[in-house]
Amino acid sequence: MTNGRIRKEGDVEYRFTHPDDFREHVRDRKGRAPVPKLVTAKEAVAAFVSDGDYIVYDFSSLTRGPQSLIREVIRQRKKDLWIGAEFTLHESPLLVGAGCATRIDVGFLGYGNYIGQAVCDGRVRTYEWTNGGLALRILAGARGVPFLPTRDLLGSDNMNVSAAKTIKDPYTGDPICLVPALNPDVAFLHVHQADVLGNARIFGTNLFALEAALASFRVIVSAEEIVESDEFRKDPMRTTVPYFLVDAVVHAPFGAYPGAMPARYEIDLEHVDRLNAIRTEDQMGKYIEENIDSVADHEEFLDRRVGAKRMQELRRRATIIEGYR
Amino acid sequence: MARTVEFTDTEFMIAQGARLIEDGKTIFVGWGIPQVVAMLAQKLYVPNVTQLFEFGAIGPQSVLPFVRGTMGGPQNTYRSLQWLNMNWAFSYSATGYMDYGMLGALQVDPYGNINSTFLGGTFRKPERRFAGSGGGNQVASHCWKTIIVIKHEGRRFVPNVDFLTSPGYLDGPGARERAGLPRGTGPYRVVTSKALFGFDERSRKMTLLSVLRGLSVDEVVKEMAFRPLLAPEIGEIPPPTDDELRVLREEIDPARFIIRGEKMSAIG
Repeated sequence: MTNGRIRKEGDVEYRFTHPDDFREHVRDRKGRAPVPKLVTAKEAVAAFVSDGDYIVYDFSSLTRGPQSLIREVIRQRKKDLWIGAEFTLHESPLLVGAGCATRIDVGFLGYGNYIGQAVCDGRVRTYEWTNGGLALRILAGARGVPFLPTRDLLGSDNMNVSAAKTIKDPYTGDPICLVPALNPDVAFLHVHQADVLGNARIFGTNLFALEAALASFRVIVSAEEIVESDEFRKDPMRTTVPYFLVDAVVHAPFGAYPGAMPARYEIDLEHVDRLNAIRTEDQMGKYIEENIDSVADHEEFLDRRVGAKRMQELRRRATIIEGYR
Repeated sequence: MARTVEFTDTEFMIAQGARLIEDGKTIFVGWGIPQVVAMLAQKLYVPNVTQLFEFGAIGPQSVLPFVRGTMGGPQNTYRSLQWLNMNWAFSYSATGYMDYGMLGALQVDPYGNINSTFLGGTFRKPERRFAGSGGGNQVASHCWKTIIVIKHEGRRFVPNVDFLTSPGYLDGPGARERAGLPRGTGPYRVVTSKALFGFDERSRKMTLLSVLRGLSVDEVVKEMAFRPLLAPEIGEIPPPTDDELRVLREEIDPARFIIRGEKMSAIG
């Protein structure tokens, strides 16, 4: 199911949803009742991610990224996905390499030769919104307005390969850039703590965690740790996302692996180097087979491909704890 | 005392970049080499500079060594004044609080326009595709003075960029303001592995200011696909100091992932 619709202007396609259509989705389809939503990654992805969906994620490939959810999307071979790509080094090459993603709003395309070559070969179409432009589109989606103005993108070629527009600002009379609201089909957030209802806490910085949760049709939270609901009411300043925005909660210790989870575990640089080194279809195929297809789920991946000793070592290396509580 | 210093082109580029940062100011730092420049500057020269990153770290004091590729990890956000997110981070630059921005680039043209998107061919059928803007477009649009850090290679200095990812002076004086970009902003310096450039106040064209000690102006200019303006007096930039090299090699990048490059030498 693809919510909203794809608009086309010349060579440029973009996702756009009328704010009232999104509001009606929120009225009719988003539950307000505090009910347990704890499911497996397999169940969450099967239920809430469909072929053709637009997905966004927070934070980065190397820090607090929803890597176990991305691997599950690949395992289920979702098709024709459109990614809003920021701080993504490996997710975009993996999703394109597995045949899951066909369009990318950039952001930051990804790292290494594989994804660059895929663009050159025409296997994936890109549109250039820039990081700030995409974040603002998601903020517009989160504010329930059809667009927001900004004083960047102007004068750049990104304007020609996105649907950003220049108009005369009615207040200053100067040219101003508008970017359309983005309401992704699905947002993936990997968090430090969540309760079974979907209340979630991130410690540290983020890209647009709350904005993406507000703007997206469906929200899947994966959490290192499941905590009691009362914890949130004891310290509300630390709530990143309240439960009623969230559709599914997945308990995913080491869910950011091979990236780091601040104050929990460090990056596995050796594994990251293997991802960085992927250049050919053969290498991509081998990586996906070994790390995704040949294991049933995240737990089996950790058990058989990472191992307790490695995880213990990565935990030991996470010595910076100030600020992350 | 004169003696020969040996270093890589990358080390020189990082060191001279670090010397440009002003203490007591704010700087919006881009991904990659600019992160390393900011670390070196903070360690040696500017303890009171406030660094800002697009992922929402306001004023971090990075833990060394640099974990390559990371942005937003616990090392890069250590001892920040504030932790936020991207929309708030760009609010600090959009309102004029960012004195400097610092960015890498694939290509740069005489007006300081930056390409970080693709090389050769067309947008739909590029010969080589790269990561794109990231937050570079916002940094180059909003910050008062943008510093571009780029290897001194001919294919990178071109009359016209293949794709204008992040704005310099566009096509000349007044063009930024006509496009609607914030008044009084624009590229300030181009730091390369051989030289330092500024921009002429009137024409807004890239101007050679100084070269690495021992290099001639011709040696620097012949490697560029356009001819820059020349300052009335071309200065001389000393090679990396012992302190700069020690901090880079021992504290920031002991694995030498970032600082490796072409070997150079100059009289210290």
